[in-house]
Amino acid sequence: MITLDNVRKVFNQGRPNEQVAVRDASLAVEDGKVTVLKGPSGSGKTTLLSVIGCMARPTAGRIWLGDREITSLPERFLTGIRRQTFGFIFQQFNLIRGISAIENVMLPAYPNGEKYGLLRERAGGLLELFNLSAKSAAKVQFLSGGEAQRVAIARALINNPPVIVADEPTAHLDTKLSQEFMEIMDRLHREGRTIIIASHDPVVYASPLVDRTVEMRDGEIIS
Amino acid sequence: MAWTDKQRNVIDFTLSSLLRRKGKNAALVLVYTAVGFVLASVMLFTHALKREAGIVLRDAPEIVLQRMVAGRHDLMPSSYAGVVEKITGVSSVKPRLWGYYYDQLFRANYTLLVPDEFRYGEGDIIIGAGVARAGVTSEDNIMPFFGSDGKLVSFRVKEILPAESELVSSDMVMMGEADFRAFFNLPKDRVTDLAVSVANPLEVLTIATKIRQQLPDTRPVIREEIVRTYDAIFDWRSGIMLVILSGALLAFVIFAWDKASGLSAEEKREIGILKATGWETSDVLLMKFWEGMVISFTSFTAGLILAYVHVFFGSASLFEPVMKGWAVLYPEFRIVPFIDFYQIATLFFLTVVPYTTATVIPSWRAATVDPDAVMRT
Amino acid sequence: MILHPAILALVAGSAVTGFMIIVASWFGLQIIRKWDLSSGSEQQLGLEKKTYLISTVMAYAFGFQIISLFLFIHTADSLCSMFTGAMCAAGTLAVNSYGYPVFILKIANFLFAGLWLTLNFTDNRAEDYPLIRKKYFLLLLIMPFVLAETVLQAVYFFSLHADVITSCCGSLFSSEGKGTVQTFLSLPVGPVRALFFALAACVTASGIYLYGTGKGAYLFSALSLLSFFVSALALMLFISLYIYEIPTHHCPFCILKREYHYIGYLMYAALLCGAVAGIGTGMLQPFRTIGSLACVVPSIQKRLALAAVILYLIFTLFSAYKMVFTTFVLE
Repeated sequence: MITLDNVRKVFNQGRPNEQVAVRDASLAVEDGKVTVLKGPSGSGKTTLLSVIGCMARPTAGRIWLGDREITSLPERFLTGIRRQTFGFIFQQFNLIRGISAIENVMLPAYPNGEKYGLLRERAGGLLELFNLSAKSAAKVQFLSGGEAQRVAIARALINNPPVIVADEPTAHLDTKLSQEFMEIMDRLHREGRTIIIASHDPVVYASPLVDRTVEMRDGEIIS
Repeated sequence: MAWTDKQRNVIDFTLSSLLRRKGKNAALVLVYTAVGFVLASVMLFTHALKREAGIVLRDAPEIVLQRMVAGRHDLMPSSYAGVVEKITGVSSVKPRLWGYYYDQLFRANYTLLVPDEFRYGEGDIIIGAGVARAGVTSEDNIMPFFGSDGKLVSFRVKEILPAESELVSSDMVMMGEADFRAFFNLPKDRVTDLAVSVANPLEVLTIATKIRQQLPDTRPVIREEIVRTYDAIFDWRSGIMLVILSGALLAFVIFAWDKASGLSAEEKREIGILKATGWETSDVLLMKFWEGMVISFTSFTAGLILAYVHVFFGSASLFEPVMKGWAVLYPEFRIVPFIDFYQIATLFFLTVVPYTTATVIPSWRAATVDPDAVMRT
Repeated sequence: MILHPAILALVAGSAVTGFMIIVASWFGLQIIRKWDLSSGSEQQLGLEKKTYLISTVMAYAFGFQIISLFLFIHTADSLCSMFTGAMCAAGTLAVNSYGYPVFILKIANFLFAGLWLTLNFTDNRAEDYPLIRKKYFLLLLIMPFVLAETVLQAVYFFSLHADVITSCCGSLFSSEGKGTVQTFLSLPVGPVRALFFALAACVTASGIYLYGTGKGAYLFSALSLLSFFVSALALMLFISLYIYEIPTHHCPFCILKREYHYIGYLMYAALLCGAVAGIGTGMLQPFRTIGSLACVVPSIQKRLALAAVILYLIFTLFSAYKMVFTTFVLE
């Protein structure tokens, strides 16, 4: 369970362009559930998502991961926790061009100091799971949209995290690929993973898969 | 071990990143190599010259005694040898005969001298390789000289000195004593100077002082002083070269700083992705460290190897005139190759340290991008 | 000044190190004044980013420091031909009164930088950075020494003029004459030799004890420090004699030469790194009581103790080897 207590995130603090991205958000994300953060762009859902995913530290407020408070952990330690706990899927997949699909999948695990051979094997297994074995050595810029999406998902799973965090994953996908994405999320959900998605796409938030929808506007949680 | 595996994985990714940006990195490596090449050439070359001079001077006498007349070097009475010989601590005294000759035909200066033992007879000479080149002659040829009375004298070339340590022997012409005296019209009781050998190096200064007391019109030149002077001159020359080159070095540092801080949008995006997917700042710094190591190592080694070839196989042809030049005949010598860790350490300090320093802050800036930055754009 | 490439390299390199230390200290000062881990403000996040820069800069400075120490000795050695009477680095360093202070500062700064990195490494293992102010305070204390080294080294080189009559290592490190070095060298060899080996045994024993039980860090640290000085003395007093096989040659620099197979590099590196590791154990001891460091410090201390014991043993065993397998007889 991830618990947020009066979390606030301010950018450009103390300057004329100060901007409060999230104000006093309190939230409990339950384990093994699918939670969707819904709201128009600029409503603060991406910022809230990055705070939940231990990517950014809140300006004020407190956060617990299970029963451990992680509010003021420095980046050095927060990153380790994040790597083991969360798998991230980004709006435009954010794959690194110029290197192969399998290297992209392996990338988040490099800092763990794992044997290269074992790591490659694990990444190969994930690609196989998503029917991408044939594309393993292909450079990512030559993959189709659907393939790139599945590589991005495989990358999120390389450290076998209990929580999957996705930021507007369907924003640049057609309906068919969006539905395919939700099917994969369903699969991961059934494996017992917690899923948190920020989206304003009805394919996502209206999906029967979703356990809870959190609605945001102007940096505040309204329901 | 987790630590080594982590290094291996990070290096692996670093190499693939570098190869993906060949164009940008090629320019950097090229400039870096050029800087390393020039600096290494200067240093290897001066060091080689110092070594050559040292080898030559190793066999030189501890003290050379010259006679001074009106503050100028003059011919020395042979009788002085007997005076010096009696000083305790002096193991031997040898009178020497040598002088300079300007060859109008080939417009070159030669050093004429009488060796301790001259194997050949009257009218025979041994010449240095430089003389042979200038006079376009070879063994058993006749070489014409104009004596001090203006008359033509011909000598037969019996031998040409080997090119090894050509730096000093290049412009030499050796002949017998009788020929020498006749050629320069030298009085029988005069010699050019005296070579004084001293057995105990610690006594050299004392003996030099004693000579000055007993023969006040002489000047003892101590070998150590010559070595020191050569060293100082060579060091000074290479120092001056380096000072001049420091402009280039500075330009290189600024170039490196600029390259390191002017990350392309693509590189920024990549580091952002790494941070977002679970790399920590120190992991990115580690990657940057290896990146610097790979670039430095490649360029440093390439520069060093090129300089090595340039100096030892190409006779440092690029700046020979600046660095050598003590006679009109440039010796065309091949320096004996050597490797000295001292030179490498100095070069390391002149290139890798400035490069690393120039890239520390830009790398750190790149590495501390917020992990959620990719999500915000 | 003598325009020698290595002199230019050393002066430039040390200026660079000095500059890096100033930058690091400046950021360190900001951290001392404004650090507040509980805050999530942008200022605090900025300060946390700066800790990475300081660590990196110090790690590089530490690396440069050890190379520059050896380069400095080597340069002094290669310059000796320019000074009447100087036969190796010892003579060149004695040409003016800055040579030896620079040499000692270089060693001190190496130890300081090593200890700082040890402290930094320990602090980075605890989630609340409990030593953050202490370590940056230590950095501010180190800064003047590094800057002093930069300035003195420049002054030393700028005031070198060829031809100055100087004492060579033969007279400087021979047992005649007066001065601090000579006082030490007139010490009787027997007791110092006994002390050297006794200390080596004590360091090893207490190091193993610390490694096994986690106790006795202060003792080990003190013994390491003492052993560092005694080893340096022993090196000049009698170990060098066995290496050179000349009864009057006490020079601590000539062992870095090719004639002695560069063995000095191994011995000095072992001694210097051993000292950093050994002294480090005691430096960390007071921080065992800090909650977040309670289980971090002992494991680091153990590793440091092990490293120190091994490094000191390399030095001792090599010295002993030279003393046993030599045809040279002292006295």
